[in-house]
Amino acid sequence: MTRVRIAALPASFALLTLTLASPATTEAQTPKSGGVLNMMLREDLAQGFAIHETATISTVWPAMPCFNNLVLFDPLKKTESVDTVVGELAERWSWQDNFRNLVFFLRKGVKWHDGQPFTAKDVKFTFDMLREAADAPAKLRINPRKDWYANVEAIEAPDPSTVVFRLKKPQPSLLLMLASGYTPVYAAHVPPASYRTGCVGTGPFKLKEWRKGEFVELVRNPDYFVKGRPYLEGLKYFPIVERGTRQAALQAGKLDVSFPGETTKTAAEQLKAAVPQLVVTPYNQNVSDNIIMNVKKPPFDNPKVRLAVSHAIDRRALVRAVHQGGAVVGASLAPKPWGFWGLAEKDLLGLPGYATNPADEKARARQLMAEAGYSPEKPLRVEIVTRAIADLRGHGVVRDQRAEANRHRRLAQADRDGAVARDGDAWGLPDRGEPDGYRPGRPRRELLRELRLRLSAQLQPVLQRRSHEDDRRPVAGARPEEAAGDGLRDPEEARGRRRAPHSGLEAGLFHRVAAREEPDPAPVHLQLRTDAGRVDRQVASFAA
Amino acid sequence: MKTYLAQRLTIAVLTLLGMSMVIFALLRLAPGDIVDILFSTAGYVSPSEKQAIMKELGIDRPYWVQYLDWLRQIGTGDLGKSYRYDVPAWQIVRPLLPVTLELAALSMVFAVLFGVPTGVVSAVRQDSTLDYVLRVFSLAGLSMPAFWLGMVIILGLVTWFRWIPPLTYVSPTESLKLHAVQFLLPALAVGYRSSALIMRITRSSLLEVLREDYIRTARAKGQSGRVVVWRHALKNAMLPVVTVIGIEFAFLIGGLVVTETVFNLPGVARFLVQAILWRDYPVVQNLVMFIAIVVILSNLLVDMLYGVLDPRVRYGS
Repeated sequence: MTRVRIAALPASFALLTLTLASPATTEAQTPKSGGVLNMMLREDLAQGFAIHETATISTVWPAMPCFNNLVLFDPLKKTESVDTVVGELAERWSWQDNFRNLVFFLRKGVKWHDGQPFTAKDVKFTFDMLREAADAPAKLRINPRKDWYANVEAIEAPDPSTVVFRLKKPQPSLLLMLASGYTPVYAAHVPPASYRTGCVGTGPFKLKEWRKGEFVELVRNPDYFVKGRPYLEGLKYFPIVERGTRQAALQAGKLDVSFPGETTKTAAEQLKAAVPQLVVTPYNQNVSDNIIMNVKKPPFDNPKVRLAVSHAIDRRALVRAVHQGGAVVGASLAPKPWGFWGLAEKDLLGLPGYATNPADEKARARQLMAEAGYSPEKPLRVEIVTRAIADLRGHGVVRDQRAEANRHRRLAQADRDGAVARDGDAWGLPDRGEPDGYRPGRPRRELLRELRLRLSAQLQPVLQRRSHEDDRRPVAGARPEEAAGDGLRDPEEARGRRRAPHSGLEAGLFHRVAAREEPDPAPVHLQLRTDAGRVDRQVASFAA
Repeated sequence: MKTYLAQRLTIAVLTLLGMSMVIFALLRLAPGDIVDILFSTAGYVSPSEKQAIMKELGIDRPYWVQYLDWLRQIGTGDLGKSYRYDVPAWQIVRPLLPVTLELAALSMVFAVLFGVPTGVVSAVRQDSTLDYVLRVFSLAGLSMPAFWLGMVIILGLVTWFRWIPPLTYVSPTESLKLHAVQFLLPALAVGYRSSALIMRITRSSLLEVLREDYIRTARAKGQSGRVVVWRHALKNAMLPVVTVIGIEFAFLIGGLVVTETVFNLPGVARFLVQAILWRDYPVVQNLVMFIAIVVILSNLLVDMLYGVLDPRVRYGS
């Protein structure tokens, strides 16, 4: 492995993406049963229905209807937060022993699609497999989110409808991870590898047929545990590789909805003009445009050069020109009001390259470049590897802007596989939140664990006031209350500063903080955002 | 004839063997492998897990072992397992073949049916307005890439009729009409280029033949213009045309890659691109091999046709 250090410099936007739906009414109405919803995919399912073995939306989106979580962020709510977690397979849940035991009371009478009863054993099976417990009966081929469960000490199933997650340290945020789309419950009686080719779930839809590269068809599960649901007879997903064809299919009415994040503002306007009865709903996604630099080798080993790049990017112009106004200037986490943890305006303005006067920023960039020994006569040339997707226009803009700061960038297009294999100077990822380039190696895993615990500490006081407290009936074998409040390492917590709850937090951190696999134990440079009100300005240094 | 055929088949087998080496080598020269892609979609890397998967898939073995293994698979008809889909590669590849073959054949039929008559008309009416119109039309065909034309057809359909062909394969037994539409439109997009080429070759070749002495003799004998052109001239003028058709067939498969993608047809070509992006060696190797076989067979067929068309061409002793 090459000695690549990656620091994510902030060029972050929360994209306003648009969903499209037809026919014309989306207002609340009496639900009607029947009908099949036709949807697009940008590529065929990456790993079948094996959500636990992948992180791409091309799998999660079509596979989720087959599964259930224990808990889920309420899909009807626009923003996911700790307040919007609802039960799925878990009817109720209860934090006990000061957030060290998470007890789920499961629904009874739930059946897997093959007719087998769903019990606590399935839950224990799934999460023992995910955390790679020593006595786990099955192992995943690829286990991207093992670290989510690093704080889980044991999972117990005292009876068929009760599951207890015993934690090493209090971690209220565990519930949020269990509510994510990445956390379905697998069946204990089928091998996990079989989810790559099929799907035995408990979800509202059953897999009928997956014709590779052609379509995935799911049909209504008549035994679904919510009576009278789902309303739809079925779901059909069509992988359409060509973007123009996807749009044409939507326009022709062959598809009912767009793909999450697929329709840019411009495209939505074109579609609306062509087919006025299409319903366009703007919604937010926490997706950022990133430039990832190799800080282990010249020129980006020089902090001045990195800083100059940040100063040279006119983020507001980028939003106007590339995203046609369909994006918001922000930092790592979704800006307010779309997300809870986005930076306040005044904090944003203080970041390098975020000031409102681009001329000043460019002058600063020029000055920094001069200090680093570059000039118009001696320009810096670097190569950026990008992913071959339509949003690359953005990187053309970045290049033009930086040319003003005496730098020239040769854009090297590479598909994402090329990018994986490549060791360039920098990567420009018009990132859709996929952590292609950022790969958490072992040193970072420690860091991530640490961060999750800190964040949990921030959530704890909020959660303690929550209504689920009334559900605190004791469970056989639960720990007594004596361990309350220990093990927290958050200095802010110690000073008594409390913050608002947040959701989607783990995913956000995962993407931003993660970096590539590092075999060597040198200090790791990462840009870190620890909370809403404060940003560690430059890269923070951590001993691995 | 028999010895010639035997010779040609031997050469074909050797060519395929060479092809297999090239395919095998080129695929492995491309950076990254399936395991990189899997980890890429999962968003992390673990060297030990990577090793385990490589072992499971057999791509940790030396290249020559993998190559011989593939040859053995071809010999036994077991094409291995698709890395991406975890099912036998043959199960993935098989339904794709008829789609692409039908599309290629339809495109070729369209190209010949359109290209040859217009070429003849253009030659017979040399330098007339009609000739110019047809030549401009054919030049346009050569200048427009098939994928662009395909996209224009799709956009035209959706703009004017708010309709596009089915997104998934429709079998002829399901609906003959939809099946025909589904294949004719892309065949048109792909066949246009080939028809333009065939038209131009037919025209120039026929013009040359029409100036030969024996044509003048035929005319002098009082035969009608139609008989002279269709019976005497065209048969001799077809030799280069047949060659072009054979070569075009090979190019056509290349043109299908994008056209199948644009029309979302589940054929070899579209699937191939996806399989390459995933470094799904078993699928890619066998699909490319399939295309190589089609190309070699079509060339062989062209050579055989020479003998039929030109009595002077005789193979063997």
